[in-house]
Amino acid sequence: MENRIEQKMQQLKQKGKKAFITYMMAGHPDMEKCKSLIQAQEHAGVDVLELGIPFSDPVADGAVIQDASYRCLAHGVNLKKVFALTKELRGEGTELAIVFRMYYNTALHFGLEKFVEECILNGVDGIVIPDLPLEEQGELKRLLEKERAPLLIQMASPMSGERLPRILKGAKGFAYCETGSDAVGQSESVRRESAFYLAQVKQIAKIPVMMEVEQAGDASCLKDVVDGVIVRAGFISLLEENNYNQAAVIEYCAASKRMLEEF
Amino acid sequence: MEHMDQRYFGEFGGQFVAESLMNCLRELDLAYEEAIHEEAFLRQYEYYMRQYVGRENPLYYAENLSRGYGAKIYLKREDLNHTGAHKINNVIGQMLLAKRMGKKKVIAETGAGQHGVATATGAALFNMECTVYMGEEDMQRQALNVLRMEMLGSKVECVKTGSRTLKDATNVAIRSWAKTAQDTFYVIGSAVGPYPYPKIVKEFQSVISKESKKQILKAEGRLPDVVMACVGGGSNSIGMFADFIEEPSVKLIGVEAAGLGIETGKHASAMALGQPGVLHGMRSYLLQDENGNIQIAHSISAGLDYPGVGPEHACLKDSGRAQYVSITDQEAMDALLELCRLEGIIPAIESAHAIAYAKKQAKLMGDDGIMIVCLSGRGDKDVHTVADYLAGRGYLN
Repeated sequence: MENRIEQKMQQLKQKGKKAFITYMMAGHPDMEKCKSLIQAQEHAGVDVLELGIPFSDPVADGAVIQDASYRCLAHGVNLKKVFALTKELRGEGTELAIVFRMYYNTALHFGLEKFVEECILNGVDGIVIPDLPLEEQGELKRLLEKERAPLLIQMASPMSGERLPRILKGAKGFAYCETGSDAVGQSESVRRESAFYLAQVKQIAKIPVMMEVEQAGDASCLKDVVDGVIVRAGFISLLEENNYNQAAVIEYCAASKRMLEEF
Repeated sequence: MEHMDQRYFGEFGGQFVAESLMNCLRELDLAYEEAIHEEAFLRQYEYYMRQYVGRENPLYYAENLSRGYGAKIYLKREDLNHTGAHKINNVIGQMLLAKRMGKKKVIAETGAGQHGVATATGAALFNMECTVYMGEEDMQRQALNVLRMEMLGSKVECVKTGSRTLKDATNVAIRSWAKTAQDTFYVIGSAVGPYPYPKIVKEFQSVISKESKKQILKAEGRLPDVVMACVGGGSNSIGMFADFIEEPSVKLIGVEAAGLGIETGKHASAMALGQPGVLHGMRSYLLQDENGNIQIAHSISAGLDYPGVGPEHACLKDSGRAQYVSITDQEAMDALLELCRLEGIIPAIESAHAIAYAKKQAKLMGDDGIMIVCLSGRGDKDVHTVADYLAGRGYLN
């Protein structure tokens, strides 16, 4: 079976559509609700789900996600339970591509080999590890050569500069582009810088380019260089503001998808 | 896994940071390597060490303390440096590097406040805009140091997330650096973090052992049998060990904080029971729970209250070249008071951990044994903690 992320990217490319990727912290607000919210997102047309694994020291995350992470840890969420969640989702027919976003120590402590095994068994399609730059990926990558193993999604940054060809060589799934600023949609100069960097990534990468944004609409001026958007903190805030109401989530996802179509 | 890679000490170290910081770390490494091989840069560093910090500081033979325990105990008096601790050695070095790299702003994390004060001092001296991140709990424990930093013109940013101590201050500093690295230099205070920081901190702190070696040879005509220092992240200890690592006859002992006792789980000894893991850009020994989340360290000393340890220490432990032991809050406080009374020296609570173990070690050594203990800082900052401790009020953990 082909990897769900690659499958999805292929479909979108054929249809000439942009990808809409959301982020949830696993177990937020609790395991049951989290599961049904994920299912609701699949029905609302979300293309890939980024599922955060809570960690005590989330250095690569801002206040909103840190806070969600602490709350999930406080009610006992751990990697084992998140694998159980993905297993249930797959068992109940969810075909949405799922990417784990986690810190390296969580996988390391679990045991890298066992971690990769569990990803395969429980239908995890990709992993993003913000504190594992190219230079430190060797040990994990060797284990990911197995059949049906998840893809290691490569992150890129506006600060990557001349590293871009090196980090994107052999990258799989999609290029995960951080924008390095909290306010992409806001200032003209930041927007220009982002456009320049994203265009570079687009030129080098042989895979779709996804950009992290606050809201889907923030990418409208960059439509020529991005193949999709990842909404992280903005989505968590939406969940919280609407008290995890499913209808609100469905409406938001559908509206975001429409916005991406109209670019 | 053994790495031949210079970024590693055995299997420890590395660069576990966001992609956005990889170029900054490379730029830092290049600038450092260029500077450290340049005569003019070294002369500048030595100038500030001599004229501003007040080096060299004495290697003091603590005769009264020695009398009770056997071996001759020498104290390397880092407490006599300007700002009252060893931290300034590294800060001056990194500040000169920052200036050379054209940075206008510096940031730092601090636990006890000593590194924060040293950074604020360096920032004032070299006219840099400075922000220091400090845990809310540490700000309460070390209120005087907060005031000092502010007087020196720095902004102290209160960190209220997680454990509200050094670990979380470091998280916030890294987060902030990832966004501002283009014009901002991150002055790391301990021998921790991603490569090349552990290497840089060691180099600038190695002045401690270089001086000590010269001084002990002059005083005793031979190398010491034991060299000892307290270990939080491990900057004064790696500086105290540096020039003795290649001297196999010298035993190296690092003293971690056992807090309320290792068996209580409320301690800060990353190497007593810690497992290897990844935090703050490095692979090293860490206090972690069963899910790989980082545990909160406990120590009466804010400067040792850190759940990890520098990667070179992890490597020295595994190779057996250095031995790591631990001392409880109570043993450290007893040693602190004893040094006050016997020698008229008020040590920092951090340094008192080394003094406490020196007493135990001296008894094993006999009268002709020679030991150097790094007295990493003075205890003026700790008098409130000592008062609370003596009044039975414990501390803010």
